[in-house]
Amino acid sequence: MIGRWTIPLIVALAAACGVPFVAGDYLIGVALSLAMWIALTESWILLSGLTGYVSLGHVVFYGLGAYVGILLWGEVGGVLAVGGAGLASGVFALAVGYPALRVRGPYFVMLTFGLAEFCKYIVIDVEAGLGQFSRLLLGGPSVLQLYYVVLGLAAAATALTFFVARSRLGYALRAIRENEEAAETVGVPVAFCKLAAFALSAIIPGMVGALMVARSSYFEPSQVFDPIVSFTIVTMAIIGGSDDARGPFLGAALLVLLSEILWARAPQVYMILLGILLIAFVLFAPGGITGRLLSRPVKVKP
Amino acid sequence: MKRRWLLSLMAGLALMAAASAQAADPVRIGFAISKTGLFAAGTGSQFDTYNFWKDQVNARGGLDVKGVKRPIEFVWYDDQSDPGKAVQIYEKLITSDKVDLLLAPWGTPAHIAVSGVVERYKFPMVGDSAASVKLRELKPGNLWFTTAVMPDRFGPVIADALKANGLKTVAVLTPQLPFALEVKSFLMPALKKNDIEVKVNEEYPPSIKDMTSLLINVKNANPDAVLVFSYPADSTLYMKQARENGIAAPFQFVMVGATESWFTKQFGAATDGIVTMGHWSPKVAAWKKAQPFFDAYEKQFHEAPDYLDSALAYMSCEILEQAVAKAGLDKDGIRKEISTETFETINGPVKFNGVENATTPASLLQIQGKSMELIWPPSIATAKFEKKPAWPAN
Repeated sequence: MIGRWTIPLIVALAAACGVPFVAGDYLIGVALSLAMWIALTESWILLSGLTGYVSLGHVVFYGLGAYVGILLWGEVGGVLAVGGAGLASGVFALAVGYPALRVRGPYFVMLTFGLAEFCKYIVIDVEAGLGQFSRLLLGGPSVLQLYYVVLGLAAAATALTFFVARSRLGYALRAIRENEEAAETVGVPVAFCKLAAFALSAIIPGMVGALMVARSSYFEPSQVFDPIVSFTIVTMAIIGGSDDARGPFLGAALLVLLSEILWARAPQVYMILLGILLIAFVLFAPGGITGRLLSRPVKVKP
Repeated sequence: MKRRWLLSLMAGLALMAAASAQAADPVRIGFAISKTGLFAAGTGSQFDTYNFWKDQVNARGGLDVKGVKRPIEFVWYDDQSDPGKAVQIYEKLITSDKVDLLLAPWGTPAHIAVSGVVERYKFPMVGDSAASVKLRELKPGNLWFTTAVMPDRFGPVIADALKANGLKTVAVLTPQLPFALEVKSFLMPALKKNDIEVKVNEEYPPSIKDMTSLLINVKNANPDAVLVFSYPADSTLYMKQARENGIAAPFQFVMVGATESWFTKQFGAATDGIVTMGHWSPKVAAWKKAQPFFDAYEKQFHEAPDYLDSALAYMSCEILEQAVAKAGLDKDGIRKEISTETFETINGPVKFNGVENATTPASLLQIQGKSMELIWPPSIATAKFEKKPAWPAN
């Protein structure tokens, strides 16, 4: 399995590294957003794909990272700000994960969604209290520098999910997804495993958040905590296939491509198409593109 | 057969290319505007005004580029009310569409977001529908703002107007959006200085769908003035629900939306007495270009221009046009022109100090009957403030 996928992945990474040599700034920007979505969706898969605890509030880590990033960037420089953003998101995940992961199913979905909105309004209030209603980050890195860093994060997120999915932790997480009680009965430390997955899935989105603020040079809470980000992550994972590190490539690539083709002239069509795709995949290909097209046929025993 | 078809196609293309080279090359002007999303309801008048200006200029034979008249062609995209998207669009406009000039997107967030792009590519752009003291943090050079309602000027102006009209208590409702919160932060100290008591001070999310509970607080407090720092969607909501709840304050202010013609069409007589933000009027005689603009706009669209966004958008076009007439399409020349010259606009002369319009005073408009009047400050007022009459019965 590793052998089958290593070569295409390395080729894809090499091709991605080569993009700036043939593309202008606009296309690099598109590649940057593709890398961003891959990094976010891979991180999401690590938690939600493997454990079945569907997070509809993953933007909270992105937004928090963005906030920490903009607070630190001017003080300590970009590298430390991005590191600090990842650290803050990870610590935050540990802190809220412990109580949050006690509920599951639709309750967890609602909780994560609510948590993200809650954090958004906390940040809005804190910023208003500080007399800051938006923040600027001028003189940040170029789109090219950002692209390579986010590409690195996308690769790191993919590797992380890839190896976790094949590790003892990964098997434990899948066991939790299939039957949490049974997993606990056979000795899987479920609370620890879930928390570990939650924290691991938060770090890279935090770093990406800080970098994307540098990209837009503008921080405004309702923008970096936009729930659409969470929805897009889930959509990409479902369309791509969410059990494995391969899925997000296809899901993110398909959606970024679609939006590139459609946004300029028919944004509404894009949203409608997104809805149709989502419904179609849930109904006809719940395993996503990877699950449907790339899996070997299962022999049904008589 | 196939080859002949190909040949004739190529010949046709060559002919077309030759023909287009003969006509004056158009000046391509790019911008993004929110056609969908949260702000979509507020962007129509800016978009219309850009097109109105384009048509006007093209009817005159084209944009004067250092003496050569060239037709204007727009390249525009929908930013979906997402400032991040606006960033991408301006990058695309500059690097991939290679436009000759830029016009501004709608709203403060998008302006600030694209400020990084115009700075990176050293591409001068005259902003319009944006105001924030944050803008002063931008390095002057490639972006200027035509607005006169910078929050630190506008907040105190509201307090002065209340004081001058003997209004002593206020209720303040603020959506959690940057510009609104910023205006409020400069309003509060000014109210205190003028001994005006704040009876209600609430913030609400910009996507609010029901403000009844806020308005019940307002009604119970019975203030002389209600200040709602709203955007089109919540301005509309206020109009409906303030009437339902019988808010009777003589001074009722909604911030964005009331200057647009759909607002008065939708609410009719209920808008009588509503105070709003704006610093332009065709009735100020000293602004010679104001009335002709109003008349021509009304003739084309069969409705009045938006006193706020249309005026701002048109001013930005006028400034760009005058700069290009002298400097051509050379970026350095345009930059130098805009940052040093004084421009004759529909809102009077405009001269920039850094990024900021330093000449136009911040002011308030009031809807009085069917007309829109500047009521404050007295230096440019076209009428005196009138108490808001009771809401119409039905």
